[in-house]
Amino acid sequence: MLRRYKTVPDLKAHESAAAISFVDPALACKLTAMGVRPGAVIEMIRKAPFGKAYYIKVDGIRLALREEEAFSILLEI
Amino acid sequence: MTRGDAQTYKIALVGNPNCGKSTVFNQLTGLRQKTGNFPGVTVDIKSGKIRFAGGKEAILTDLPGTYSLYPTSSDEKIVAALLTHPTNANFPDGIIYIADTHHLEKHLLLLTQIMDLGIPILLALNMADTAAELGIKVNIARLSERLGVPVVFVSGRTGENIDRLQAELEKMMLGTQAIHKTAAFYTLTEAEKQLVEAVQLNLGTENPYRALLIAHHYQWLPFLQRSERETLAAIVETKHFQSLRAQVDETLDRFDRFTPFVQESVQEAPTFPNTTTDRLDALLTHRIGGPLIFFAVMLLMFQAIFDWSVYPMDWIETGFSWLNDGLKAVLPAGWFSDLLTDGILAGFSGILIFIPQIAILFLLITILEEVGYMSRVVFMFDKTMRRAGMNGRSVISLIGGGACAVPAIMSSRTIGNWQERLITIMVTPFISCSARIPVYLVLIGLAVPAIKVGGFINAQTLVFASMYALGVIAAFASGWAMKKWLRTREPSFLAIELPEYRMPDWKNVALTVWEKVAAFVWGAGKIILFVSIALWGLSRFGPGNAVETAENTAREKAQTTQLSTSETEDLIAHHRLEASYAGQMGKFIEPAIRPLGYDWKIGIALLTSFAAREVFTGTLAVLYNMGSAEPDISSRTENQAKMTMRAKMREETFSDNGKPVYTLATALSLLVFYALALQCMSTIAVVKRETGSWKWALFQFTFMSALAYVVAWLVYLVFS
Repeated sequence: MLRRYKTVPDLKAHESAAAISFVDPALACKLTAMGVRPGAVIEMIRKAPFGKAYYIKVDGIRLALREEEAFSILLEI
Repeated sequence: MTRGDAQTYKIALVGNPNCGKSTVFNQLTGLRQKTGNFPGVTVDIKSGKIRFAGGKEAILTDLPGTYSLYPTSSDEKIVAALLTHPTNANFPDGIIYIADTHHLEKHLLLLTQIMDLGIPILLALNMADTAAELGIKVNIARLSERLGVPVVFVSGRTGENIDRLQAELEKMMLGTQAIHKTAAFYTLTEAEKQLVEAVQLNLGTENPYRALLIAHHYQWLPFLQRSERETLAAIVETKHFQSLRAQVDETLDRFDRFTPFVQESVQEAPTFPNTTTDRLDALLTHRIGGPLIFFAVMLLMFQAIFDWSVYPMDWIETGFSWLNDGLKAVLPAGWFSDLLTDGILAGFSGILIFIPQIAILFLLITILEEVGYMSRVVFMFDKTMRRAGMNGRSVISLIGGGACAVPAIMSSRTIGNWQERLITIMVTPFISCSARIPVYLVLIGLAVPAIKVGGFINAQTLVFASMYALGVIAAFASGWAMKKWLRTREPSFLAIELPEYRMPDWKNVALTVWEKVAAFVWGAGKIILFVSIALWGLSRFGPGNAVETAENTAREKAQTTQLSTSETEDLIAHHRLEASYAGQMGKFIEPAIRPLGYDWKIGIALLTSFAAREVFTGTLAVLYNMGSAEPDISSRTENQAKMTMRAKMREETFSDNGKPVYTLATALSLLVFYALALQCMSTIAVVKRETGSWKWALFQFTFMSALAYVVAWLVYLVFS
């Protein structure tokens, strides 16, 4: 099936995409308050050394997200 | 803050994490600050006095950093719970809101939420200094007009414009603020309006936004009555109110409203070029380099804790033994003098001896935190630590535990999720601390032959390293087990900001270190002192005149065998201890520890070293007639002393069957016991303090003792 979105872990290093919406309401609540909102451009910086976490940049703010948190952000293709 | 009378104006400092709140707090209060427990919560809240030019005073409280009034950790809940509870004694009369000028937009969310609660507020745009360097210009007048709150540009680091902030504060206190906006920033949706009306009707809450927040948080807000909770549950149910959905929608709506304000008032919006931080992170969070650098940093830190603390610890020890000898020489002999010297003074030295290590550890951790490195560690090790029920930050506590569990447990405060923090506190004492080293050395030297295993590793070194490995394994395994057992309702998040690297604010570093050391001395110190005195009493006195009788017996024995003065003293000390309550207790517990291969003398050592593990060798020295527990002047005589002590210990036999006590099995069993048991009253005291109840301290003590007992027993079985 064709997906019309991707999520943060799909991004390669230094690739960016705009956020569309969130999967999980609890995470959405936390992430929006931290400045990750629909429309915000998310840049992937790197994966954590042992995996399961991502270092991203949103509007100049650096964030570390767990895999679950990163998967919950839907991005534009 | 609780001391402040009703007349004193109460100001709360609010802002997002990493907004530089603490630097502004320090600027406003100077050294007139203290840390106290907020009623009903275990998180320490700092408060301080602001003195105004005219002699007026206000109390400033530094609330935990939070992103919004929709909290995700217990830390953040404090803010939401306080600001929705106007009858709380600590409810602020006014708020200073600190925002980071670099990321103004993100920081305005919480501001607008608080504005809607109708609490007088003023906005301080922090980090004016670096913003200016980056060319960020903010039209203060425009922003203030659009938001409807006074705005001041400040710098917590340089102290720039703090006087202006104070002036605005005075206006706020007098109620003569230039701007006072009454209209709500956020317009409730139709559904929310109905909900709010129902809450207002039933609970009498005046402010609509407060009513809305209470409806969102009715399940955990601590000030609600049970009946109110039931009413709110019914309202939420009948109105089909979807809390999470509404929270997200409200947040996005607020952003939509204030984003244009920011665009209008921020001239030359910040661009975010590749900065030093990015270059540093490419290395410090690198897939291979990151963890390597981390371990190198930890190794250096460990080294520093040991190396730098040697001299101050020596001074403290020398100082106390000098004071002890001096007092003993001056005071008349008697139980009171003994209490003063061996009880109280020993207790004080037991407290003070920890200070160098605590201070150094906190200094280094605070610096790592201040520069922004800690959040990178959290990012890198979150996965590893989560497996054992902990958080990335727990790494720091565990490593710190290698020196001393007391400051390490205190450093777990950086962990937001309560369960993760609790597990960290519970498992940190498993890591072999510096106090275990002398115990390990004596026992290994006694029972482990210095042979090469597999041709290259010394068996003694191998056992020594195994003790450290055992601690690490025990910590991770019990963390994993506790994770299975504890089920928290509090969701766990990583989602952490990785702030820009910057030079530490030295004043803040100094204040933090001072504060934590002082907290240890007053908090844990009281308990250490108390137990020291109790232990002194137990080993000084015995039932009836048993101790005196024992002393006379020893004296007679010494005379008939013509011992030297020092040998006589040792013999007397031995007999007195045996007859004392502590000695009786040793005999009493002997049946319980016999399966592990210990006799009553080891029993006494176990009991006395409950206070602190390092007492073990001292107690054994007394028991085996090996002179004073004080370190000898030259290391050579000390070595000789140890050698003779070992010789005597080797000769020791069980009184019932005549078999030697210190076999390899007993020594290994004791080693394992000391590696796993919680024999440290300072740790118990600090766990009680940090968890806010005896429950967890006792649980930990019981759990670690039981585990130590079982594993030591198994080891004894296998090797005997």
